[in-house]
Amino acid sequence: MGRYILKRIGYMCITFYVVITLTFLSMKMLPGTPFQNPKLTPTQINQLKHYYGLDQPIAVQYVKYMWNLLHGDMGGSFQFGNESVTALLMNKFPVSLDLGLEAIILGAVIGLLLGIIAGLHHGKAMDWSTMIFAAIGTSIPSFIFAGVLQYFLGVYVRAFPVAGWNGPSYHFLPVVSLAVGVVAEIALFMRTEMVEVINQDYIVTAQAKGLSRFTVVYKHAIRNALIPVVTILGPLTAAIITGSLVIENIFGIPGIGSQYVSSIVTNDYPMIMGTTELYAGLFILSIFVVDILYGVIDPRIRVSGGQA
Amino acid sequence: MAVANQDITKEMFLPAEIDRTENERVSGEVVSVWKDAVRRFVQNKGALLSIFIVLLIVLLAVSVPYSHNYDPTHQDLNRSNLPPRVSALSWVPFLNGQEDGIDVYQQRGIKKDFWFGTDQLGRDLWSRTWEGTRISLIIAVIAALVDVLIGVTYGGISGYFGGLTDNILQRIMEIISGIPNLVWIILLILVMKPGLIPITIAITATSWISMSRIVRGSMMKLKNQEFVLASKSLGAGNARIVFKHLIPNSLGMIIVNTMFSIPAAIFFEAFLSFIGLGIRDPQASLGSLINSGYEVLQLHPYQTVYPGLLICLLLIAFNLIGNGLRDAFDPKLRH
Repeated sequence: MGRYILKRIGYMCITFYVVITLTFLSMKMLPGTPFQNPKLTPTQINQLKHYYGLDQPIAVQYVKYMWNLLHGDMGGSFQFGNESVTALLMNKFPVSLDLGLEAIILGAVIGLLLGIIAGLHHGKAMDWSTMIFAAIGTSIPSFIFAGVLQYFLGVYVRAFPVAGWNGPSYHFLPVVSLAVGVVAEIALFMRTEMVEVINQDYIVTAQAKGLSRFTVVYKHAIRNALIPVVTILGPLTAAIITGSLVIENIFGIPGIGSQYVSSIVTNDYPMIMGTTELYAGLFILSIFVVDILYGVIDPRIRVSGGQA
Repeated sequence: MAVANQDITKEMFLPAEIDRTENERVSGEVVSVWKDAVRRFVQNKGALLSIFIVLLIVLLAVSVPYSHNYDPTHQDLNRSNLPPRVSALSWVPFLNGQEDGIDVYQQRGIKKDFWFGTDQLGRDLWSRTWEGTRISLIIAVIAALVDVLIGVTYGGISGYFGGLTDNILQRIMEIISGIPNLVWIILLILVMKPGLIPITIAITATSWISMSRIVRGSMMKLKNQEFVLASKSLGAGNARIVFKHLIPNSLGMIIVNTMFSIPAAIFFEAFLSFIGLGIRDPQASLGSLINSGYEVLQLHPYQTVYPGLLICLLLIAFNLIGNGLRDAFDPKLRH
């Protein structure tokens, strides 16, 4: 296990390093310029370039960028009067984290419940309706749900605020729009696992021992079915990040997602790089945690040499 | 007993004649893998309906540009933000050209019908929606085909040759797949500038990975089986074994995976339009139409409804077809 974790950490570092380098290089290959103000004279533009260090050779810029990055300094944002990118991200990240976590927790709770109920009623109406809901929920993108919810519950019924992030009532629409996909994904996965587990010999044994239905389902079936569900947490994190970019924009939430989109539009290089690295870091970390967690929960994987 | 009284003579016993060819006769119709898959697929009503829906959408996307009222780029501010109107169906709410009870067509003196309404610049949304559907479908299909090409080649080489080759290719892939596809796609589009080709390339950049994983797994499983050994001992070369035996045997999985990569590509195209990296005006895609519709969602919801509905239909239909094919090719996976 120890060797396995070390290997995973090694990969994690290499991948993260590749991401940083790729982001850096692609920013240098970008066709646009951040200095778009037509009033700027060529001399002023040169001065600005010099000020931001953009006139130095790429290799020098790269080493400097990496060195600063190691000290937690990602440079100054072009669009916010040179405000530190690190500080901007630190400011806005909690909002996005809040949104993402709420969506994952809500999605996981409802998804697991639906999946368990559907799995226990395999082939019955409850099962079919869950399957239909899941097929729709996994297919339709979150921004469509967001639009429908925003229009009907926000504009038409006026039950919830249309946009903003000023209190609990503001959380409902964006969190639900993000969570629908999570619910569908987890419900589908959990249902398959439940159906599989219920047909296992140890369930028959438990029933033969005369245990109550509740004990069989709760202690034997659900616990075993839950293990593989951990594996989809990695892809789900990626989906939540992707979704949050759009959802934050639609609902005007001041998180890093809407920030990212606006920095793409304005060619704010340091901000794009910082946010990209943050997203990549989150994703890589979540994959790592899931791998390790899976090994810890399911001893069968540890024994077979960590081949998750 | 009467029978016991009869004389049982030796002549009554004859050796049964055994027809050796009888052993080899197959009772019932011979069902090939493909026939079997088709048979199972046809039983799946959801998947059949989905095929019908997809065909209908494709037909409209291809044929509408040749119709007489096709005009996706003509701007006319006099007819901006017109709600949908179909004269023949004017008794249907939402198709009567009225908005908040006012007949906008009458107000502005417009005779022509706009079935899906018009956008802020007065462009016909019926034309733009089908133009957008066409572009979204083109991107999705090209992305899926490139997926197959790269994924099958990469996974095939990795799985068939194994050993060091496999090790190197897998380590490279591990790093590529460790980077979230969102990051890949955004960086690639930023460098290449948004457009049809860059979007397709960016979407393909990561989506071939799942295909190559599947092909690699199936190659590794198949290459050690007896029929490959038999082919090898008959003198077949690598190319023949791969193209004649291994790929045809993995074709089912390849088709299923391709079917799932089409909706994924449609989704990412729409997503990119949403964050301002999609198809640019005057061209349209389903994503860019939904995006511009969102700007006036609260005032003119119909501008988002039709492209939104189309994208939902396409995504659900393709996913159901994918599910149907998966169940048809591998009944073991059926839930």
